[in-house]
Formats: sequence, C-alpha cells, structure tokens
Amino acid sequence: QLNRPLVLRYLMFLCSPCVQLVAPDPAEIRLLRGHKLSVTCLVITPDEKYIFSASKDCSIIKWEVESGKKVQKIAGGRKGTEDRHVGHTAHILCMAISSDGKYLATGDLNKLIMIWEAATCKFLYKFTGHRDAVSGLAFRKGTHDLYSASHDRSVKVWNVAENAYVETLFGHQDVITGLDCLGRERCVTAGGRDRTVRVWKISEESQLVFHGHEGSIDCIQLINEEHMVSGGDDGSVCIWSVNKKRPVSRVKQAHGLQGRAGLEQPFWVSSVAALHNSDTVASGSHNSAVQLWKCGQGFRGLEPLFSVPVTGFVNSLKFSNSGKFLVAGVGQEHRLGRWWRTKEAKNGLYIIPLIRQNTEQELEQ
Amino acid sequence: MAARNKQTGLKQRLSRSDAGHGQTIKKVNKTRAITKAMPMLEENRSAVEEDAVEMERNFALFNKRNVMLAPEDGKGEEERNPGASDDEHVEEEEDVKEERYMKSSGDMSGSDDDSYYYATDSRPSEDNGVAAKLHTSDELQRGLSTLSFEEIIRLQNKVGTKAYNKIAYGTMHNKQTAEPVKRLNKHRPDEISAKKSVPFLRKVVPVKKTILRDPRFDDLSGDFRPEVFKQTYKFIDEIRQREAQTVMKKLKKVKSNTKREKLKSLLKRMENQERAQKKQEQQREKELQFKRKQRELVGQGHRPFYLKKSDKKKLELGEKYNELKKSGKLENFLSKKRKRNAIKDRRKLPYQHKKN
Repeated sequence: QLNRPLVLRYLMFLCSPCVQLVAPDPAEIRLLRGHKLSVTCLVITPDEKYIFSASKDCSIIKWEVESGKKVQKIAGGRKGTEDRHVGHTAHILCMAISSDGKYLATGDLNKLIMIWEAATCKFLYKFTGHRDAVSGLAFRKGTHDLYSASHDRSVKVWNVAENAYVETLFGHQDVITGLDCLGRERCVTAGGRDRTVRVWKISEESQLVFHGHEGSIDCIQLINEEHMVSGGDDGSVCIWSVNKKRPVSRVKQAHGLQGRAGLEQPFWVSSVAALHNSDTVASGSHNSAVQLWKCGQGFRGLEPLFSVPVTGFVNSLKFSNSGKFLVAGVGQEHRLGRWWRTKEAKNGLYIIPLIRQNTEQELEQ
Repeated sequence: MAARNKQTGLKQRLSRSDAGHGQTIKKVNKTRAITKAMPMLEENRSAVEEDAVEMERNFALFNKRNVMLAPEDGKGEEERNPGASDDEHVEEEEDVKEERYMKSSGDMSGSDDDSYYYATDSRPSEDNGVAAKLHTSDELQRGLSTLSFEEIIRLQNKVGTKAYNKIAYGTMHNKQTAEPVKRLNKHRPDEISAKKSVPFLRKVVPVKKTILRDPRFDDLSGDFRPEVFKQTYKFIDEIRQREAQTVMKKLKKVKSNTKREKLKSLLKRMENQERAQKKQEQQREKELQFKRKQRELVGQGHRPFYLKKSDKKKLELGEKYNELKKSGKLENFLSKKRKRNAIKDRRKLPYQHKKN
C-alpha cells in the first residue's frame, strides 16, 4: 500500500511552479523486450512494482519494474483454440487493474473480457456479453466495479468480485475507442468516428455529450475528476472540462506532419496519458517521440515540455501513480491495424524516469 | 360464427360488470376492451338496428342525468362536430344495444325511457348545483365510480373517448414522458439518457445534401442588368472571336464542297451576330449619352425634354446617311431604296386592264 499523505505531498511538490519536469538522459531510458509482436496496452500496478503488458501476439507479460525482468507470461493461443487454451486467442486491445492490485482485466478482439488474479496470474473468470471487440476497460478506484467499452457501441458495467453483469449503457454512434474511470461512479469514453466524448453518469443513467475533434478520437485519459485529455487521428490533443461541451484547449498537429510534400497528413495520436491530479500530459504517436505537455492555468493552454525519443508506434502510455516514471508500450504497428510498419522499431516497453528540477522561482503579479 | 361467439363474450362481460359498482379502473378497462373489439363487428349491422341506434343516440344527447357532464358539456358539443368520431361511437353503442335487445326486448329500453323522462323533468337544478362542486379530477373519478357500466358507455359516447379517457385516467402520459430539462448555459454539454439503444441506421458522419439550383431562375442571382452582365461575361466575346478565327482557318483548308458551304454559313452567322451585338452596344451608348446630356442640362437648370420615337428615327437616319457617305456606299443604298419604294408604290396604284 502506498503512503497516501506522502504521495499527495509529493504531487503538490510536483505541481508547484518552482519544480519542473526535465528531459531524462537517454541512457536512463530502459527498454524491456519480450513480446514477439507490437505491444498494444499496458497497466502499472498501484504499488508501482510490476507492469502488465499485452501485445498483438495475444500474450500477457508481467514485468518487475526494478530489475526489468519477466516475472510471468500468459501465452497467447492460436486462432481456433478458444475452448482449450487458457488465455487470449485474439489481439488484446485493453487492460485494467483494480486499485487494490487484486484483479487484472483484459479485453480482446474476440468479444471476451478475462479476469485474472494479478498476484499469481491465475485465470478467474471470463465475461461474455459484448457483441464486438472489447476496446476499453477500467476499474473504478476503490471498488471492484469494472466498466467495459466495446466496438458494439455499448458500455457495460460488471462486478468482478461477484462475477456478475450489472447493466449496459447506450449512446455512442460509432465504435468506442477508449474508456477511463477514476473514483466516482462515472466513466468517460471516446467514441471514434462520431467525434464525441461521453461522460457516463452510471447512477443517474445519463450521459454528457462533448463534441470536439475533427477526426476519429482514438484515446482518452482522465486527468482529474473534472478534466480529461484525448487524442485523435487528426493529430490533435484536446483537454476537456466537464463543464464545457467543447475542448478547453487544443493542440493541432501535436506530433507534426508526415508524408510527401503537398500530401501532408498529421501524425495520428495513438495514445495519451495524464499524471493523476497534476498538469502534466503525455501523448504518443509514431514520429519517434513521446511528447510531454504542461497544461496552463485552469487547463486553458497546452505547452510542450519536452519530447523523449522513442522509435515506433507508441500504442500505450501510462504514468505511475506517484509520477516517478512513465511507461510507453511501443510496437512496429499501430495497435488497431497495420497501416504502416516501422521496421527499425523494437516491440517492447520503454520505462522513462521523470526527473524534477528546482527552477528559479519567478514572481508573478 | 365467430361473431356470435364474440357477442356471447360481450354478454358475459356486461352481466359481470352490472353485478356491482366496483372499482372505477377495472370497469373502465373493460369499456376500453369492448370499444376496441367493436370495430370488428361492423359487418353485422342491419337497417333495423341502425334505426334503434339512432334513437338511443338521440336519447343520449338529451340525457342530463349524468352530473359530471355539466362542466364538460361544451367539450362534448365540440367533439360531436367531426363526423368520424360519431361513426365510431355509433359502432360502439350499436353493439352494446344489440346485446340488450337480445337479452330482453322491451324491458330495458322501457326503463331507460322512464329514467330519461325523469332526467329531463327533475334534474336540471340539481345538476347545476352539483356541477359547480365537481371540479377536481379526483372527484370526477369518484363520480365515475358510482355509474353503472351502461351509463359509462353512454357518457363515453356523448363526450367522446378522448375526453372520457382524460377524465378517467387523468394526464398520466404527460408525467411519464418528462421533457428534457433546458440547459442553463448553452456551453455546457448535453445531458441525455444512457438507456436508449442506438438504432441500426445511425448518422455517424454528417453527409451534406447537395442542393441543385439554376442560376437563371434563382432569386439569389438578382435581377438582370445588361451592363453588369456584359462586364462579368466579357470573356465570352473573346472566345467568340477566337472561334471565328478558327472557322476562317478551317475554311481555307477545307476540300469538300458541302463542308465548305456549312462553314461559310457558320462564319456568316457568326459575323452577323457580332455586327448585331456591336450595333446594340452603340445604340445603348447613344442613349446613355443622351441621358447624360439631359442630366447636365437639368443640373444647369434647364428643363429636360425627351425625344419622340419618330424624332429618334430621324436622327438615326441622319447618322446612317453620314456613315454611308463616308464609306462611299451612299449611291448604292439610295438606288436600292428607290427601287423598293417604287415597287411598293406600284402596288398601291389602281388596277389597270391589260391592253391588247
């Protein structure tokens, strides 16, 4: 268990204006290799000791952070061995871990949600019910309520401790590409091509609809209970507030442009991450860099802090709870398809330590 | 056969309902069930039955025994007007009456008649007094519960099903469908229900529907103004010139006779068109000049004067004369004109016999 007051003090220290995040030394960035194909998603355990990562080869690997070694591997099965094999037989699109570190949930293209015991990687349950690929999973902090989003445009609520299905929520007009949840009984989803972000108030059975991006919204994370950050395939990173139907701040072409001269297209933002209750946001694409941003006052502006060089598609980004490091799951291909393939990239996890430096205090009027 | 079975079913239901003045809602449901079944028995009508129905309807119209009708009378009258509702009620009533006739031929109607007479004589004053008290829907519903089944049907027929349902059930439907709460601030996100499933055919990407409009007939294009039109479409004159040149070139090269003739005629047409256009432009220019002169004169203080058509023609003729003189074709023109005039004059001369 983390020492809560200590973590809070540390976070306050982070947020104070005299402390700034600084680009780490490239030598300190570790690469954990072990997956055969592109890493699609990852989660960090709440005690920051282990990382679970899943990839397109349908395997799940548990890594130890300090040593960087593989603790356990749940191998992936071949297509067609669903009944015999304990594990996934299709691409794993999303993962979630409960806040007490007990349960791990994984969702794949075969419409299944598998629940594992995080400590031993033992298979517990299988949740069926979705009618298309499961694309987003999140546990509610402090409980064993699991929210799942799928390509069948529905959000389902499950109770993992009791192995039960609770309810389904509708509203999205197109496939749901991402889901996130914090302590409140509400979750936020990004609905691909319908360009909406929806906040689901589960107890009230209602939803708040936000409109914003120009292209498909591919990834979303909650910064705190009121704000979220999302990235889309129009290359833009948007910060949203629950009180406004349009993004509070927006950065277009966050990762630059690609393609030939005259046919330039923005780099798709394939993943975003936010340091919980702070003003730091990270976004990843395939332009060989993970970009870190700093939100302005009231989340109104978004300035680039620094970028970390990473080759390949950054399919998943996660900040550790205390903000000590950032983990990027990288692959040769985009997690949702195979539009491009960067041969030079290595499939694995990059652990990027976050260093803070005391800058001179500037007096503001 | 099926119809008769249905009728027996109705009989049973009626007898059961007559047994006691039970709860309002049950009775009301029964009436609704029956009224729904009514239209199906349409075909069994006959002339005699229709007359009977007419009679009963008239009695119902004069019925003042039902107290709660007093405040609703105005409504009842209004709802009587559309013919369609009347037909429905005729169907409902008639089948119920059928039942009664089958049960006991004269007794029921006789008793009814008596009650009606009583109604017209004794009740009016009482009606008004009691009517004033019954205002709330609860009281109305309680009043309904005291009626017997036949009376309810009669009331329904008089007032109309819609109004009757409103009294009997209240405004339940409005409470069920709560309108969406208006947003306080238009910048806040929409809040909608999360339980309504999304239909299969849904609009994911907004597709714009292309509206076709003909700029010739569209109001957006405005009115026709020749100077504006000439200015904006000046490029067409250049195109025409170029085309005339290409036709001339082709004419030089062409070998076959038919084609040459075609091209010649085409070229001639083009040249004529050009000439006509130029002439029109010159005329317009002249008119504009004249108008400008007039405006100047007015500006200086003189009164404006306008030329007659004949005067205008004379002026034109004078100008033509000058031009022809310049170009040297005056003689030609004049001789032709004399010939034409001569021919015309000869036609107007009196008829002369041929001399042998």
